[in-house]
Amino acid sequence: MSQFRSKKLDIGGFINGRIIRDHTKRKVFEQYEPDRQALRYIIRNTSLPQRVRAQAQLQLSQMHAYTRSTQIKNRCVAGGVARSVFRDFRIARFQFRMQALAGELPGVRKASW
Amino acid sequence: MATQYSRVLDLVKVQCRVFSMTFNPDGLRLGNKVLRQRLRGPTLAAWYPKKTVSFRDLRDAIKPLGLTTFDEAEDDREEAIQIAKLRGKGRPKKKRTAAESRTAKKKK
Repeated sequence: MSQFRSKKLDIGGFINGRIIRDHTKRKVFEQYEPDRQALRYIIRNTSLPQRVRAQAQLQLSQMHAYTRSTQIKNRCVAGGVARSVFRDFRIARFQFRMQALAGELPGVRKASW
Repeated sequence: MATQYSRVLDLVKVQCRVFSMTFNPDGLRLGNKVLRQRLRGPTLAAWYPKKTVSFRDLRDAIKPLGLTTFDEAEDDREEAIQIAKLRGKGRPKKKRTAAESRTAKKKK
């Protein structure tokens, strides 16, 4: 949502709208994570009164969708693709292949035996 | 000889205090597992590479000082616009008021 988006672009490299959106979600999640964890603790703690826990549940469910970690999707840093992204390289499979063959990824080489 | 249960509890209590754990002999669900979790936000937020200083930033930084840089692409663009204007193919003048835009429509 535009209310969370930073006014000035703060990421480099390949950029498209979906990457900006995902980056915004990541930052919002980082900001609200302690709140979410606190509410989760209250909900999970059975020694607290039922009323308090129910209120915490309601509050957690009413938080903005962008504060949720499930909204975050790993995207290719070099092409913005969201499918088959290698977590170690943050790159999708085709970009990985191109860069690996070009020798831009240290320690990666084509298998041969 | 079997040790007393209360003695064992005391021992566990001290153990919990020493190792800063929660004393929970009844095995109640106190939600401490949530508190034990590490925050994932910083690592998740660091997925995309940070913005680095670019040539354009440098150009914008020195512009108020009265210094300019040579930008071939920008020069080419301005030249092309000049040529288009001479041929009468430039962009139409911006209509600032509602009345102006109405007259422009009527001409058609």
